[in-house]
Amino acid sequence: MTALARRRRPRREEGFTLVELLMAMVVLSVAVLALVAAYSSGFVALNRATRVSSATLLADSQMERFRALQYGAIQLNTSCGASCTEDATYTADSAYSAAAQVTGCTTTDATCLPTQTKTGPDGNSYRLDTYIAYTCVSGTLSTSPSLTCGSGNPYPVKRVTVVVRSTSLTTPVREQSTFTTFPSAS
Amino acid sequence: MGPTARARLSRRARARSAAEGGFTLVELLVVLFILLIVVTSLASVLVSATHTEVDANKRFQAQEQARTGLDLLRRELHCASAVTQTSGSPLVAGTAYSAITASLPSTCPTNVTQAATFYVTWCTSASTLTTGDFALYRVTSTSTQPTCASPGTVKRADYLTTSTPFCLPSSATACSGVLKPPSSLPLLHVTMPVNVNGPASTVDTYNIVDDIALRNGAHT
Repeated sequence: MTALARRRRPRREEGFTLVELLMAMVVLSVAVLALVAAYSSGFVALNRATRVSSATLLADSQMERFRALQYGAIQLNTSCGASCTEDATYTADSAYSAAAQVTGCTTTDATCLPTQTKTGPDGNSYRLDTYIAYTCVSGTLSTSPSLTCGSGNPYPVKRVTVVVRSTSLTTPVREQSTFTTFPSAS
Repeated sequence: MGPTARARLSRRARARSAAEGGFTLVELLVVLFILLIVVTSLASVLVSATHTEVDANKRFQAQEQARTGLDLLRRELHCASAVTQTSGSPLVAGTAYSAITASLPSTCPTNVTQAATFYVTWCTSASTLTTGDFALYRVTSTSTQPTCASPGTVKRADYLTTSTPFCLPSSATACSGVLKPPSSLPLLHVTMPVNVNGPASTVDTYNIVDDIALRNGAHT
């Protein structure tokens, strides 16, 4: 047989071996798993975005109620028993300050409760923590004998921090705003 | 072609036909059947994923439109010198309204005419997209308080399941359980439940609720 004829001889076509088949299946399953992972990570991201936007709406709404209040009425209710107890999660927050806390709200209005549970627009439940503390634009806050900021601008402002927590939020949603009053001549 | 060449050809043909036996009809049918099952299940997954995507997109757009509409409403009410019924009468505490009119002074950014008299009416009217739902419209006028029937209405939200989104709470009369706190500006309670499948569908309603401070009101 000549060399030409040998080269022209058709290759043996016995089909695939089991090993080849297994390799192909592994490659295919990797591709399919990657697709599934893309789907599920998209779903997780969508869910998280919904939670964050719902929590932000709740925080906005709570802050809006403080914007409507008179300066003197911006205060927390910390003496109403069980419904205004400050638990460990509340006091562990960086916005919490036992010394500078603004208290004195005695109304039954839920706005001035340190911790409330609210249902968000998505139907899920969120924990709404409100912190109100005196703070200084410049200078150091001194609470005794009187509330002052020392040198510089002597008038303290009220800093309201709204923190919305949920187990399904990786980090709580926070909003902060300061409120001031024009110091009167008296 | 010589006899040697013909013999070589037929030998080659025999060898090939032995190696390439091909599939029998039964084998082919079995393979096709298996393939059919696989492709059908994949296609059904793909179709349902596409439906879900379309539905999620529709819901997202409806919610986004409602949020954007609420933002504009909030900016206008913050700047408004008065918020009344479309008749001009004051809002009655605790009553839910389908329409309100805000009077915007000439300095308000959304008073595009800068006219001294500028009314903006926000009103609901039956949705043209889903039966039972309502759409929220905005209409302006420099002469009298406009209504949803006035020309020039612009849709700002759709798929709302309530026709009465506006309510003014007082310290004594609540709006959906919300009271106005003491020493507070008037608050307008706005409820915008968004559901693209109509009010009959109780699941998946995105319930936007906000209290908008009327900043030019009096602390009471």
